[in-house]
Amino acid sequence: MLARISYAFRETFASFRRNVTLTAAAIITSAVSLLLVGSTFLIQRAFDNLLTRWKGDVELIVYVRSDATTEQIQLIDDALRSQPSIIDVERLRYLNQAESYAEAEKLFAGDPGTLRLLTPENIPSQFKVVPIAEDSSLVRELGEQFRQLAGVKEVAYAQDVFDVVSRVSQFIRVATTAMSIILLIVAVGLIWNTIRTAMFARRREIEVMKLVGATNWFIRIPFMLEGLLQGLIGGVLACGGLWGLNSAWSGAVDDFNDTELAALVVSDGYVSSVMLILLGIGALAGAVGSGIAASRFLDV
Amino acid sequence: MIRLENVTKSYSTEVTALRDVSFEIAKGEFVFLVGPSGSGKSTLLRLMNRQEVPEKGSVWVAGKNINDLPESKVPFLRRSMGNIFQDYKLLLNKTVFENVAFALEVIGRPRHVIRQQVPAVLELVGLADKGDRFPHQLSGGEQQRVSIARAFVNRPLILLADEPTGNLDPGTGEGIMRLLDRINSTGTTVVMATHDTRVVNMMRRRVVQLDRGVIVRDQERGVYD
Repeated sequence: MLARISYAFRETFASFRRNVTLTAAAIITSAVSLLLVGSTFLIQRAFDNLLTRWKGDVELIVYVRSDATTEQIQLIDDALRSQPSIIDVERLRYLNQAESYAEAEKLFAGDPGTLRLLTPENIPSQFKVVPIAEDSSLVRELGEQFRQLAGVKEVAYAQDVFDVVSRVSQFIRVATTAMSIILLIVAVGLIWNTIRTAMFARRREIEVMKLVGATNWFIRIPFMLEGLLQGLIGGVLACGGLWGLNSAWSGAVDDFNDTELAALVVSDGYVSSVMLILLGIGALAGAVGSGIAASRFLDV
Repeated sequence: MIRLENVTKSYSTEVTALRDVSFEIAKGEFVFLVGPSGSGKSTLLRLMNRQEVPEKGSVWVAGKNINDLPESKVPFLRRSMGNIFQDYKLLLNKTVFENVAFALEVIGRPRHVIRQQVPAVLELVGLADKGDRFPHQLSGGEQQRVSIARAFVNRPLILLADEPTGNLDPGTGEGIMRLLDRINSTGTTVVMATHDTRVVNMMRRRVVQLDRGVIVRDQERGVYD
């Protein structure tokens, strides 16, 4: 048994040395595609986080006219607080014009044209309302009532924004999933091809092995180990890349810490489990691809 | 030891390699398969170690019908046989010692057995002092001796040889035949396909002659023609 194991490892490493370029190519391809697969997971997770946060957060914004009087604002505030069965009174927030402008400066950072039209004087102040009623039609009904109140400029439902983001996220999910599946197939193909080339170079050896009575598994296992190792190394590289990408991303999002975008950060725990999955996929795809490639040469 | 019963084998609808062939080889026999190229000699050898399966008829080796052998048992059948080829089929990146040891390694023999048996068989074939040479540093006859050592190191019951003297000059071929004769005298059954008239006439052993897939002669202590 020990002789067999040491044989398998010697063969694996000998083959690695013999085919440096092909091995490197297979490792790089699997690393890149696994990295993309991992990124897909993270992107999907980030959007999910964002959606959950939006869902559980502000869903109704009552914009107050910039020329509304203090009494009118107080009236709206009272009206909102009189509906504790529909809205979460505890989390009701009022942003005055200065605060609204500060928020707008961030929201429209990428749209200076719009921002230029706004001033702390003409911007509407706003009530951010968190509904607790499960039934969104109740919330809509309430919103319509508020639209009638004096001093109310507009009532916006986060639901509308939510739908758009949800559709965007759905699209991204499908696109990234499709892409990562294609890349994964490419990676398996390349590992498969590497092994096939390695086997073609050694077909004479394989023929002799078959003729002196080596079992198929005995011949196949060094090749599968080789593929497994290639996939695993690719997986480790992909994990490193993923960690780097996520750190950079988290750092960038940190600057928007007090906005909704902070939800786009993915927790380290989730990143770690994605890494484990990547290593698993890499090792499995490598080993299975090589096993299949090897079988084609065993028919002596 | 080996028995063929009404074996027919064709490679395509036009080419029939063997047609209804039956014969038996006893344990310890030395048999020449002779006949022109394409007469079915090599196919016969390939049927005996299950590189091929007949369409009709059955092939028995050591009391077992090897047509029925599941794929997973084929390696164990082959461990009871040694194979020698016209082109030696040595591994060029391995030394003489490693080439012979390889046959034991792949069937999982422990290292101390390998260290003991390989020098013994190299001694038998007359290459005791050339264990660390590579195949390209050897003459054709020496390379064929290495391949015989590899085939015999596992002490097989049967040795299958396909034109082993085909690439060698007559003197060297005779040396190879003496070696095969010695191996045969240890009780190993030897089946050798050849169209080397000289060695067949020299040995005076059983001759099975094939022509276009049919046995046309089966003679004890025969000559080539």
